Amino acid sequence: MNKTGISFAAARAAYRPDADLGPLPALTDPDTLLAACHPDHLRGSVVKLAIGANAGDGCQRELAELLQAEAFIDEADLAGTPVTDTDVLVIGGGGAGCAAALAAAERGARVLLATKLRLGDSNTVMAEGGIQAAIEPDDTPQQHISDTLRGGHHAADPALVAALVADGPDAIRWLIRQGMQFETTATGDLHTRKAGGMSAARIVHCRDYTGLEMMRVLREAVIQHRGIEVWEQSPAVELLSNERGQKCVGAVLGSLADGRLRIVRTRSVILATGGLGRLHLNGFPTSNHLGATGDGLVLAYRIGAKLRELDSFQYHPTGLVHPTHLSGKLVTEGVRAAGALLVNGEGRRFIDELLPRDVVSAAILRECQEGRGILSVRTDKTRLGVWLDTPRLERSQPGLLERQFPKLLARTRGAGIDPRVDPLLVHPTLHYQNGGVLIDVNGATTVPGLYAVGELAGGIHGRNRIMGNALLDIIGFGRRAGVAAVAERDRGPKKVTLEHVNRMRRALTLAGMPLTHKSPRLLPAYAGGAWNR
Amino acid sequence: MSDSAAASVPLTINGTAVEALAGMTLVEAAWRGGVPRVRGVGCLEGVCGSCRVLLRRGRDVTVALACQTFVEPGIEVVFLPAPSAPRHHYEIEEFADGWDVQARFHEIFPEAARCRHCHGCVRSCPKDIDVEAAIVLAAAGRFRDAGAMFFECVMCELCDGACPEQIAPAHVGLFCRRVTAHFHLRPPNLIHRLEELRQGRYDVSGMPQGE
Ligand SMILES: Cc1cc2nc3c(=O)[nH]c(=O)nc-3n(C[C@H](O)[C@H](O)[C@H](O)COP(=O)(O)OP(=O)(O)OC[C@H]3O[C@@H](n4cnc5c(N)ncnc54)[C@H](O)[C@@H]3O)c2cc1C
Ligand code: SF4
Ligand code: SF4
Repeated sequence: MNKTGISFAAARAAYRPDADLGPLPALTDPDTLLAACHPDHLRGSVVKLAIGANAGDGCQRELAELLQAEAFIDEADLAGTPVTDTDVLVIGGGGAGCAAALAAAERGARVLLATKLRLGDSNTVMAEGGIQAAIEPDDTPQQHISDTLRGGHHAADPALVAALVADGPDAIRWLIRQGMQFETTATGDLHTRKAGGMSAARIVHCRDYTGLEMMRVLREAVIQHRGIEVWEQSPAVELLSNERGQKCVGAVLGSLADGRLRIVRTRSVILATGGLGRLHLNGFPTSNHLGATGDGLVLAYRIGAKLRELDSFQYHPTGLVHPTHLSGKLVTEGVRAAGALLVNGEGRRFIDELLPRDVVSAAILRECQEGRGILSVRTDKTRLGVWLDTPRLERSQPGLLERQFPKLLARTRGAGIDPRVDPLLVHPTLHYQNGGVLIDVNGATTVPGLYAVGELAGGIHGRNRIMGNALLDIIGFGRRAGVAAVAERDRGPKKVTLEHVNRMRRALTLAGMPLTHKSPRLLPAYAGGAWNR
Repeated sequence: MSDSAAASVPLTINGTAVEALAGMTLVEAAWRGGVPRVRGVGCLEGVCGSCRVLLRRGRDVTVALACQTFVEPGIEVVFLPAPSAPRHHYEIEEFADGWDVQARFHEIFPEAARCRHCHGCVRSCPKDIDVEAAIVLAAAGRFRDAGAMFFECVMCELCDGACPEQIAPAHVGLFCRRVTAHFHLRPPNLIHRLEELRQGRYDVSGMPQGE
C-alpha cells in the first residue's frame, strides 16, 4: 500500500474546527469506487473453495485456509472423555447465545451454555450505536425491510429480512422485560436515531453503551436462570455427528483452564460463536473482541453445513488509529449520524458521511491511497487515516458528545485525547462478517440438529449490514432458534461419532490438500509475537 | 505519534520478567513478554471486565483492568482468576409487581443493609463508580437512582471481591437497573406499534406477537 500522506503534526497544526471544508465532491459511481478501493475486491483476497458444501464458491483467503483444514481431534482422543447429556447445547456466550439459551430455558428445556472466554466477553458487549426497531409513527416494517435489502445490495434472503423486521418491536419489549434500559425522550418514548441508509429514525439505544447494557443484563438473566448451566473457558473444538455423519448430536469442548476435553450429547446444538475480526483479513486492524476467530464457520462447514457470502466482510469506516492501544477500535456511526464530518489531510470533505459503510470505507481508503491521508509514524508501523471532525460537532451542538457518547470520551481520556478538542484519526477497521452459515427463519442450518444464530449466520444482511440490524438479529434469531431447538422431537443420539471429520479428511486427501493445517483457531497467536496495533 | 525510540520498561507479570515499551498496556506487555496462561483477556477496550489484575507498586496494592492500564517501571502485575459464581439468586419474572420489589430485594440481598462504609468497593472500581453511595441508595429502595450510578459498570466484579460484608455490589447494581426497566419502562411509541402489529395493521410474517 502507498504510504505517503500529510504528516500528523502538520495536519494537526493546520486543523481548525471552523475551517471551510470546501464543497462536497459528487460521487458519480459508487460501484467503481467499491471495485477500486474496497478490501473485498483486493487482488488475491478471494479464492475458490475446493472441497465441502460450498466447493466452487469464492471465499476470503484467510478463511478458506481454516475451512479446508484438519480437525484437532480424532476418535482416539474421545476414549475415556467424560460425557454430559443435555436437552439443548448452546455454544457461544454473546448476545445471540444468551437469547437462545433463555428462550429454550423459558420453555422448560435443560440448557448447557458453553463459551470460550468469560460469559459476556463478546462482540455484543462492545456494541455502541444501538438496535433497530421500526416504532416511530413515520416508519413502517415495510420501510425497514426495504432499507435492509437495499443496504445489503439486494443479496439478502427476503424471508430472513421479513423475519428480522417482524421481530423488531417484540425484541425490544423482551429486552425490557429482561431488565434492559433504553434512552427515552421527555415524553417517555424510546429515543430513536437515524443512521446511514435509513428512511426513518429507527435506532433505539442506551447512549453509546447499548451492547454493554444488553450484555450485562442478558448475562445476569442467564446466570440467574435455574434451567441454564454455564461453562466458561470451554471452547468447542469439534462437533459430533451420528453414525452416518448426517446429523449433529453434540460437541467436544476443550478447556482453557486445564486443557481437558469433554463430550456433550444433545438433541440440538445452537452455534452462536460470533464473527472473525481477529483473523485480521487482508492485514486490517479490527474492532472485534479477542475470541472472534471464526470458529463456528469452521465447525459448521466440517459437519457439512452450507455457508454463504464468504467473500463479503464489513470494514467499518471509523476505526481509531490513535490512541495506539485502541487501534482498530470503533467510533460508532452514531457520531456521524449526529453530524460529525470526515476530513482528509488537505482539510477537505470527500464523501457523504452517511452513505452505506462499504462506500464510505472505500472513499477513506482512496484518500489514503492517493496521498491525501494523514500519516502517523510509530515504532512498529506507519498508519494512515483521516480526521473524524468531532470538535466541529461539539461547536455546533455543545455538550452533545458528553451526553450521548460517554463511552467514546471514557476510552480516549486515558490516553489524554479529548474528542471535543482533538479531531480523531480514523481508518477503516474489519468489523463484521456479512455472510455466514445458511439458515432458515428458525436458525436451522442445512444439517439436522444444528442451528446457527447471530453474527455467525448469513443471509440476513446480504453483502453489507446497516447499523443496528446485528443487535436485532442476535435477539430475534437467537430466540427463534431457542424455541425451535426445544421443539426438536428426536429422542436423542444413540451413538456420537466423528464420522464427518473422517469425511472431510478423505475430501482433503482426494483434493491433494495438506492435512497439516488444523482448525478452528480459538485464539489469535499474539503471545510472544506481533499483534495488530 | 512519533516515538521511534520508545523507552524500554521493565516489569513483572505473573512472576515473569518482561521488557515492555513505554505506552503499552499491561495486556500488550504480557503478549510481548510471552507470559503463559494469560486467559482473562477479551474486548481490549475496557468494557468486558475480564482482564482483572492485581498491581503492586512497592507496598501499595491496587486492582485494575489490564487492557486500560499502562506499563510502569518496576510494577508487579498478577492476572486474577475469574470471579466465582454469584451467591444471590432471583428470577425477575417471579416478582409480583413494582410494589413487591423492595421487600424482595432485602430477602435476596440481606447483606446490603449492613454496609460498613469501608470504601473497599469504591477503591477497587476501575470505572470510578461511587459504589458505596449507590449501595446506600439501593438499601433505601431508591433503585432507579442507585442503578443510574452503575451506568458505566462493566461487571468486572472487583467490588464484589473487595466487600467484607459480601454484599455483591455489582449484582446489586444490576438488580437495581433491571427492576427499573422491567417495572417502569413503558414507552408509548413502542407500545403503540406493538398494538398495531397485534391488530394486523402490517402484513409481516414472523413470530406470533406476545408471550
Ligand atoms: C465494536 C463493535 C460495535 C458494534 N456496534 C453495533 C451496533 O451499534 N449495532 C449493531 O446492531 N451491531 C453492532 N455491532 C455488531 C454486533 O455487536 C455483533 O454482530 C453482535 O453482537 C454479535 O453477537 P453474537 O452473539 O453473534 O456474537 P458475539 O457477541 O461475538 O458472541 C460470540 C461468543 O461466542 C464465543 N465463542 C467464539 N468461539 C467459540 C468456541 N469455539 N466455543 C465456544 N464459544 C465460542 C465468544 O467468546 C463470544 O462470547 C458492533 C460490533 C462491534 C465489534
Ligand atoms: S461497580 Fe463493581 S463490577 Fe462495576 S465496574 Fe465498578 S468494580 Fe466493576
Ligand atoms: S465494600 Fe462493601 S461494606 Fe465496604 S463500602 Fe463497599 S459495599 Fe460497603
